[in-house]
Amino acid sequence: MFEHKANDKTGLRIIIVGCGKVGRTLTEQLSKEGHDITIIDTNAVRVQETTNLHDVMGIIGNGASYSVQMEAGIEDTDLIIAVTNSDELNLLCCTIATQVGNCAAIARVRNPDYSKEVSYLREKLGLAMIINPELEAAKETARMLYLPTALEINTFAHGEAELIKFKVPAHNILDGITVANLSQNIFSNLLVCAVERENNVYIPSGDFKINAGDIISFVSHRENARKFLNKIGFNTKQVKQTMIIGGGRAAYYLAKDLLSMGISVKIIELNKARCEELSILLPEAIIINGDGTDEALLKEEGISNAQSFVALTGIDEENILLTLYARRVSTAKVITKINRITFREVISQLDLGSVIYPKYITSETILGYVRAKTNSKNSNIETLYHMFDQNVEAIEFRISEDTELNDIPLKELKLKDNLLISFINRNGDIIIPSGQDCIKTGDTVMIFTTHTGFNDIRDILA
Amino acid sequence: MNKSIIRYVLGHILIIEGALMLLPCLVALFYQERNGIYFLIVAALCEVIGFLMSRKKPKSYLIYTKEGCVTTALSWILLSMFGAIPFVLTGEIPSYTDALFETISGFTTTGASILSDVESLSHCSIFWRSFTHWIGGMGVLVFLLAIVPLSGGSNINLMKAESPGPTVGKLVPKVRYTARILYIIYFSLTLIQIALLLFGGMNLFDSVTISFGTAGTGGFSIKNDGMANYSLYIKWVVTIFMTLFGVSFNAYYILLFSRDKKAFLIDEVKWYFIIILTATAIITIRIIGISKSFGTALTDSAFQVSSIITTTGFSTTDFDLWDETSKAILVLLMFIGACSGSTGGGIKVSRFVVTIKTIFKEITSFIHPRCVKKIKMDGKPVEHETIRSINVYFITFIMLFVISTLLVSLEGHGFITTFTSVTTCINNIGPGLGKTGPTCNFGFLSPLTKYVLMFDMLAGRLELFPLLLLFHPALIKDFFTRGKH
Repeated sequence: MFEHKANDKTGLRIIIVGCGKVGRTLTEQLSKEGHDITIIDTNAVRVQETTNLHDVMGIIGNGASYSVQMEAGIEDTDLIIAVTNSDELNLLCCTIATQVGNCAAIARVRNPDYSKEVSYLREKLGLAMIINPELEAAKETARMLYLPTALEINTFAHGEAELIKFKVPAHNILDGITVANLSQNIFSNLLVCAVERENNVYIPSGDFKINAGDIISFVSHRENARKFLNKIGFNTKQVKQTMIIGGGRAAYYLAKDLLSMGISVKIIELNKARCEELSILLPEAIIINGDGTDEALLKEEGISNAQSFVALTGIDEENILLTLYARRVSTAKVITKINRITFREVISQLDLGSVIYPKYITSETILGYVRAKTNSKNSNIETLYHMFDQNVEAIEFRISEDTELNDIPLKELKLKDNLLISFINRNGDIIIPSGQDCIKTGDTVMIFTTHTGFNDIRDILA
Repeated sequence: MNKSIIRYVLGHILIIEGALMLLPCLVALFYQERNGIYFLIVAALCEVIGFLMSRKKPKSYLIYTKEGCVTTALSWILLSMFGAIPFVLTGEIPSYTDALFETISGFTTTGASILSDVESLSHCSIFWRSFTHWIGGMGVLVFLLAIVPLSGGSNINLMKAESPGPTVGKLVPKVRYTARILYIIYFSLTLIQIALLLFGGMNLFDSVTISFGTAGTGGFSIKNDGMANYSLYIKWVVTIFMTLFGVSFNAYYILLFSRDKKAFLIDEVKWYFIIILTATAIITIRIIGISKSFGTALTDSAFQVSSIITTTGFSTTDFDLWDETSKAILVLLMFIGACSGSTGGGIKVSRFVVTIKTIFKEITSFIHPRCVKKIKMDGKPVEHETIRSINVYFITFIMLFVISTLLVSLEGHGFITTFTSVTTCINNIGPGLGKTGPTCNFGFLSPLTKYVLMFDMLAGRLELFPLLLLFHPALIKDFFTRGKH
């Protein structure tokens, strides 16, 4: 029985402790990718709901308990992911698991008290990864405030290459020109990877025509991105000051980041005690004790002159309304945090500007790790991002051995449809490839595709 | 409702049935029987229709609870309707109603027969009759899940609708491997039984068909006098294997593959064996007077107790001649049934254990009105939702039982016959008492009664709700209106 079981099984055995939003997103994605998943949660209803929708086994109980872990088969497990809402429980789960079984462990730890000690904890407890969604979200927010024109910025190749998403305004010089034209006449050293138009995502070919209102994602070298945006008439200066509504953990991380970048920060928080805490933690920031959803207060604090506005309250609806309001009364760069991951389609139709999903960031990071671990034999995937509501995957492959693709000019390779080689990283040099370039051993290659489940660079061939 | 997935799965069910029907063809080839050609025709028919139904891929692979239940109920009806055709074509059971009764009785592992002379059937028909038990025992959808890769994670709802028991758990994270493991255990146990029967001097055909009947806890006998004339050794082999097939298959998995052997102390299995031993002891004492020796009494009572509690329905003796207490015990055992997650029918031991614990809890609450106490099974608290569904199950079962008894009573065959024939059908056992007793058959009943009993057999096998759901007005409306897409 177990012979053929082993044969057609490529996935890992994974235990996910905690069936909240992140747990479910992970379950959905990982079970789709063919891993054997067991979920553990104390809430029977949640376990039931998840097992009804996904092909996974559910166990009701405390994930940190030895006997529950044994029941979940910890001894044969490759990876345990603890994403309950308690940091301590997550750490305990992983500690026990690494003692009992021979598995890698990922814990979600959100408390800022631990955030400074992450690397110490990780090392001492023998964990593979400690993830802090608020911190990650704050980092992403900070990146966007650094280049306010962009709706979204992702970095690849240790920050050397950037994927920048922006919306083409009406009467822009890009309106009405083709992608080929753009790279010939306007700016050569970049590659348009994807265009979002009316809920569809296109991976454009050369004769694709850009219209006003399209959301374009392009990859380029870090400095070139700024030059390009400048050239087409965008403001590329970083903001000088920012207004944050809600003083939660994400606000703290963000404020800390921004202050160190020399951006002045104003935080509006309702809870007096929390305000006092923040003022101790962030002496340079202006902490306002008041209701951030109070229009009068926002006006008083000068929302109309704000350069940037970040809605980070715990309630999605409030964040959305605040953002819409801020867009009405000011020209500020606005960023909205959305916790829930449902109704994404509706949210993306609202004109919110930049939206960050801490839950997605968490699951993305973990998925990237799992993908890489799955392929530890070939060690091919460096990083993996899901983009545009998981319609597009951006995969960074490391070419560690000779493949049949090496040293062949790209134009001679027969690639799949809806697939793009966006850049080649050769010893830290970012090459935006043209048809003459070729892949060499030792490169990392970033591809964009609407196909899913790529595991090897050879998968890009048609 | 996702009708396209229902069509797709039903198509696959027919393809599987067509393939399985080739086995009786082989038997016919071996015994040089002309009837085999009819099985071949129906097999081809199933393949063609199944192919046409499953040719188009479904729009979505989502199977919610309702799709799971509807697919399961329709699969079983479809399976029986096609499975009955060969009996009519061969002319061995000329009436389609009778053939359908026999086939449903086979697939639902009831084993109630309308035939008075089984031995006159051709080998291929006998084989197919017994083989339906084996297919129905573990379930055809579970088989489908084991071999057909259905994408999407929601196909657990198919397994839930088909597998007996108040809660259905997986053995391993993936449905596909869970289904495979179940079938591997099922298949291996059947093979062991065939080997042991062969060792006891039974011929191959008899050992295979008897083993099919035992494995599915079905109980179609292949001889007119049931199991009466087999040797002591064979009777005990069958007794032991009937008992084994009534044990939850999860227990075997834990015993064989799990490292955590402590978990083997499953409450349900423990109670199952306690009930069997107690019932056997009482009946042995009661019938020792009318038996030849203590040995015969023990053999007969052990055989009959395990045959009834696992809802197999084989008989070594005409237990209708036993005393009232013994018969009453047997009727009680009919209701209790086997363990959940086994191939047996009935209400299931676990439901009774939980209910009895609930009763104790309720009584305690009269003494300590504010006492909080959670009911536990296998050392784990039972969710309120589970208890609620068990209670509703009992009530629905009683209602269905009463209505069926009322309909069957229209024929006027006496209370014992009416009561026990409904009991035996709804619990998937086979023989009742009185006119439908172990030495008699169901052939004399009117078509109406037969259809009522067929419904009861299907309802009993699928644990009521999947079948009852088909009659929900909203669902019927849903079925006949076109979707938005």
